[in-house]
Amino acid sequence: MAILEVQNLRYWYRTRRGAVKAVDDVSFSVDSGKTLALVGESGCGKTSTAAAILRLLPRNVDTYEGRVLLDGQDIMQYGNEEFRQRVRWRGISMVFQGAMNALSPTTRCGYQVAEPLIVHYGTEKEEAIAATKEALKSVGLPEYVAYRYPHELSGGMKQRVVTAMALIMKPRMVILDEPTSALDVMTQANIINLLKRLQKETGLAYLFITHDLGLASELADDVAIMYAGRIVEIGSSTKVYPTPQHPYTQKLIQSVPLLRKEEAPDFIPGAPPDLTNVPLGCRFHPRCPYAFEPCGWTSSEVAAILGHEALAFEAADVHLANVDRYDAKDPTQLVAYPAKGTTASSLAASLQELVASRRSMTPFLRAIEGIQARDGRVVIRLHQGRMPELAGEDDQRAACWLLQQEAITPAAAT
Amino acid sequence: MQLDNLRMWFQVGGTLFRKPIPVKAVDDVSFAIRRGETISVVGESGSGKTTLGRTVLRLLEPTDGRLLYAGMDITHAWQRDLMWLRRKAGIIPQDPYSSVNPTFPIFRILEEPLSVQKLGTRREHAERIYRALDNVKLTPPDFFAQKYPHQLSGGQRQRVAVARAMILEPEFIVADEPVSMLDASVRISILKLLRQLQQGFRISFLYITHDLATARHFSDRVGIMYAGKLVELGPVGSLLAEPLHPYTQALMEAIPDPDPENRLKERAALPGEPPTLTSPPPGCRFHPRCPIAKAGLCDVEEPEFRELRPGHLVACHLAA
Repeated sequence: MAILEVQNLRYWYRTRRGAVKAVDDVSFSVDSGKTLALVGESGCGKTSTAAAILRLLPRNVDTYEGRVLLDGQDIMQYGNEEFRQRVRWRGISMVFQGAMNALSPTTRCGYQVAEPLIVHYGTEKEEAIAATKEALKSVGLPEYVAYRYPHELSGGMKQRVVTAMALIMKPRMVILDEPTSALDVMTQANIINLLKRLQKETGLAYLFITHDLGLASELADDVAIMYAGRIVEIGSSTKVYPTPQHPYTQKLIQSVPLLRKEEAPDFIPGAPPDLTNVPLGCRFHPRCPYAFEPCGWTSSEVAAILGHEALAFEAADVHLANVDRYDAKDPTQLVAYPAKGTTASSLAASLQELVASRRSMTPFLRAIEGIQARDGRVVIRLHQGRMPELAGEDDQRAACWLLQQEAITPAAAT
Repeated sequence: MQLDNLRMWFQVGGTLFRKPIPVKAVDDVSFAIRRGETISVVGESGSGKTTLGRTVLRLLEPTDGRLLYAGMDITHAWQRDLMWLRRKAGIIPQDPYSSVNPTFPIFRILEEPLSVQKLGTRREHAERIYRALDNVKLTPPDFFAQKYPHQLSGGQRQRVAVARAMILEPEFIVADEPVSMLDASVRISILKLLRQLQQGFRISFLYITHDLATARHFSDRVGIMYAGKLVELGPVGSLLAEPLHPYTQALMEAIPDPDPENRLKERAALPGEPPTLTSPPPGCRFHPRCPIAKAGLCDVEEPEFRELRPGHLVACHLAA
């Protein structure tokens, strides 16, 4: 049974440079007792997704919409007070990134662990102490930790304290945002073991946010790969790890240095896009080694391809004599001007012939949707770089045009 | 670069009435770094690996032992007599942001070592700076030279740090966790760059890291440090294929490779924490956490650093 269901969640915030599309149409669900790992490079909207689920919004929210169902209840409909009382800590709690360094240095750990209990339930002191000790025990800490200040504890112990804090209200689900990123490998392994044990014992569901695919595989029943605010691939980890479908997932897996295998890791050239100005079409296409036209080519790119293709065309001299120049000002369409002495319609005809004859050789030409003579010029309409939607089997879906070639309308050169 | 029984102890907590306590950050470490090789030093935080890197460059003066650079004893040389070492040995820091002056453009950041060493004219400086930026693939160089550190991404900033370490055309570079603050993919791109530069310029690297997996792919030899001691040292291949020290074995066991099978089992992880360096345990420093420690031996006698396989040394009584 899905404990958390996120549907078409969208969370943008305003900046001076425009809206940051941190979370853009994200959907997934997490079953009770299971873990979904949300993986991606930094700046891809992973933490923003968590913040959007818990409605931890800054003041400059631009768009915040979609449905978030907790146990079938749409929590987006709750008022702020109701949300605070029924969802935060009680329904879904969160271990924030670097939370162990955010513990108050002047308050004993026990009180900090008990705080949600006292604030939410107004629990009596005795009871709170008992619950705190129990929570500390469940994360493998001795009772005396309750009387210690954070600086007296090691990194691993502090991480256990913040985990205890997230567990004290007995939530159904915990969001773990890079829970081990500042820890040593040995401590990391201990914390991960603890999380596994807790899940087995209590049937907790986790949303595990990390950039480390190796670490994600420690907990994940399902994996969602996020890129530039969108989920590009989601599925069961037994499918996604051995047979990644999306080029980004493939690249991400290749970039993990393996300890036990000789295969050298490789990196993904470039950087994730600025989320105020995302590429048209598939957001990964500028970095994708397989990008082709529906992924979002612009008119200047198509002009270059056409110029190149013309040279390989049998009737090249006739065609080249027809063209005067291309105008690629509008990224969504290319305008060709006929040379002196020819007409737009004969240029259109020769362009159509060029595209038709080369299309099988150069799939890039499929970017062209239509060629039309109009007002003494030829307008070459391009397929709008469309955003691919997730498609595929239930246990593995990817958003990539390569995998959905049949969905692309074949370029009709009319 | 050769290290003989190098010791770096810090004195802490001393007052007029109380004797200071030594923190044995680096204790009795010996190895040699050959020309053009990368040697990784892997260890948890607090194992003394950063102190080792700083001592090797003589940013710290060793307490004991000997430090030789190309046969020259630099153990206790005066800083002003070490200007030549500063030209031949560089450092790439962990956090490239806090280690540069944020009010300097990249050009000036890269020019500083040249001015300090009084090398060349201003025009030659520009030439070298552009060449260095080109080497680290920050192109076009004149574009990046005008930028300020805050205008660059983490990966680009780390490239600047690499360029700065390279600008004096050194023979030896200490890279102290150069990629731990970067994204996985950027990490690999920087490490590949370092490897390329090393092969192009025959530089020796001391790569300090906590990540055994990157050490595997980007170094020739690996040394494992625990509580200020080098516990194992050997060629990457043989050390990882057959880790001899129980700590190395535990370290490898704790690192997951991506595999959906991982979620089905618990990872064998050592209990406890590394010891404090003010009062390390007697005998083998690893014995309180060691799964195979023998009472009466490991907790009494300090293990010798023995060569058990060709070029593969280990400090463990029980390894064979």
